[in-house]
Amino acid sequence: MIIAEQLRMTVYASLLAALTAAGAYLAIPIGPVPIVLQNFFVFLSGLLLGSRWGFASVSVYILVGACGLPIFSIGRGGIGHIMGPTGGYLIGFLPAVYIIGLISEKGGQRVIFDIIAMVCGALLVYAFGVPWLYKVLAGKGMTLQKALFVGMYPFVPGDILKIAVAVPVAKALRPVIRVPGSGFRIPS
Amino acid sequence: MHMNIIEIENLSHRFPDGTLGIDGINLTIQEGTFVVISGQNGSGKTTLLRHLNGLLLPDRGTVRLSGVSVSKDLVKARQIVGMVFQDSDSQIIGETVYDDVAFGPENLCLDRSEIKRRVYDALKAVGLTGLAEQRPHLLSGGEKRRLAIAGVLSMKPRVIVFDEPFSNLDYPGIRQLLEQVLSLHKAGRTIVVATHELEKVITHADHLVIMKDGTVVRDGLPDEMVKGVEAFGVREPYNSRPGMEIRSWLN
Amino acid sequence: MAELTAFRFRTGASLLHKLDVRFKLGFLVLISLAGLKAAPLALCVITFVLIAVIIDTRLPIKVILKELRYFLILLLFVFIARILTTPGSTLIQIMAVSVTREGIYDGSLVCWRLVIIITLGLLFVSTTRTSEIKAAVEWLLIPFPFFQGKRVATMMSLVMRFMPLILDQAKETADAQRARCVENRKNPLYRLRKFAIPVIRRIFESADKLAVAMEARCYSENRTDPWLSSGLKDWVALFVVICLCAMIILI
Repeated sequence: MIIAEQLRMTVYASLLAALTAAGAYLAIPIGPVPIVLQNFFVFLSGLLLGSRWGFASVSVYILVGACGLPIFSIGRGGIGHIMGPTGGYLIGFLPAVYIIGLISEKGGQRVIFDIIAMVCGALLVYAFGVPWLYKVLAGKGMTLQKALFVGMYPFVPGDILKIAVAVPVAKALRPVIRVPGSGFRIPS
Repeated sequence: MHMNIIEIENLSHRFPDGTLGIDGINLTIQEGTFVVISGQNGSGKTTLLRHLNGLLLPDRGTVRLSGVSVSKDLVKARQIVGMVFQDSDSQIIGETVYDDVAFGPENLCLDRSEIKRRVYDALKAVGLTGLAEQRPHLLSGGEKRRLAIAGVLSMKPRVIVFDEPFSNLDYPGIRQLLEQVLSLHKAGRTIVVATHELEKVITHADHLVIMKDGTVVRDGLPDEMVKGVEAFGVREPYNSRPGMEIRSWLN
Repeated sequence: MAELTAFRFRTGASLLHKLDVRFKLGFLVLISLAGLKAAPLALCVITFVLIAVIIDTRLPIKVILKELRYFLILLLFVFIARILTTPGSTLIQIMAVSVTREGIYDGSLVCWRLVIIITLGLLFVSTTRTSEIKAAVEWLLIPFPFFQGKRVATMMSLVMRFMPLILDQAKETADAQRARCVENRKNPLYRLRKFAIPVIRRIFESADKLAVAMEARCYSENRTDPWLSSGLKDWVALFVVICLCAMIILI
């Protein structure tokens, strides 16, 4: 059933890419900055699919968006968006999901490792996103300090919340999903 | 006279978690017949159907399609036996009606002109020609079910298997679907319908199979068997009672 | 769903509709890159070309503006940031913040470029079918054996297929939870968790069914190649675009 496994992972990776895209539409209005679920699903891709398929999932997400289909934040798409001020965050999702998958795999999917994985992933997203934002917005007076205030600090509480939720969600869903190696599952 | 298109011999399947799906099933289906498989939920209908095109493989026993074992050539088996699933939403693959119907032929590596011909033939057969460019998500329940049939027809199957085809359809939807199924049967295809709603199809069937707990408990002509079905958790069609004639849902 | 349906392919018979998708994708990249460094005069030229193309495609201007409205908010943000952070000769002084002439000039230029890039993307999507985009990606990946083009193309169409399903599912679950007074719970952790788990689980279940349905229709990564064709007009257009880009860079 090797082919069937591969097909199933292909479908799952596409599904998480679609969830990531849908995450841009699903904003939860709590607090001053609405929480957008996009990066939450990037975290989940890493945790649920592992490094390789997680990376594939995010790549497809960015590829679909880059081709101009409306799946980046609030229905935007296109290469223009990647080149725009928030493009760095999108690119940052790639190394982030890989690292999250890798740490979670190596850590045997234990909670503490999952949390470490997601913290690293979130920081990676900012490591790409903030300098990019700074670069696009930068007149000569824009400091990195200001970029951090605009592009990172307001989102940190939301990220902590998302990491806190991703842990139980991953735990609840891992038995449903069953990544390869755990045998063929009967579709109900 | 008729040739056996499906021959099932001593078929058993146990799921990886240890529960028994089906056990010791023997069944032959002749080409061109209309077979109804009935039984309550969990009686093993779906598990049996999934052996017909190799979505599940037997632990014991064999399934042969016109003499050839299913496990020998899965692609061939899936071409011979087209399967229409219960949930029409989750079997739609393409983003447009055309793309969805073309999915099967593309997998068979047919060339573009042949694919186009097959897609339009299939859409015509189910009456969706005008909707080729439509997004499947926007179709009605009945239309989605017909799209699922077209997706199977484009692979030119000899047998079409329906798993609970009437669930979630309204009355006009059921009538349309039934007409569709009958016209496919008339065109010479073997039809296998698994359903617990016996009354909707029973008048058109020429072979009835009742399952319970993973085994076949009755196998024969519908007229002779319809009286006793309630013992196996299937509702007897209400107008099979004395003095009434069983009538088609189409009249 | 409204946002999803607005930014999409519209049928038409304009030049852009008729061009080969691979060329269009190339134009999109070329002009976007050239436009990044364009001077005001060059931006004027591109803008006039774009306006001419928009008129030719007969896209309703109202729709374009509606598409761009969120983006315009983002642009305003970029504009203000530029104004406030670019040093130069001061125009207005409000407390410690000064608005400079250079800032306004710089900000308008950056925003103008971004508007052009986004409009290019919009034009591309409005005149190209998703299946064509998929075909182009598949074609582009042929030289890279590391990426299986067919699989990537399949994944792209699955993403587009899952989107409406997910949004519907999310809405349904949110409604069901609202009906049971979830709003009384103030803890966002609790709410997000109770929301995410059922939604994702149900979507994964339907993904499972989809995988089975794909298998039943002989899914294979060795499939018919997509249909692409280019003609004289594509090459002429390429020549024009290259001239345009050369001019943008040289001005």
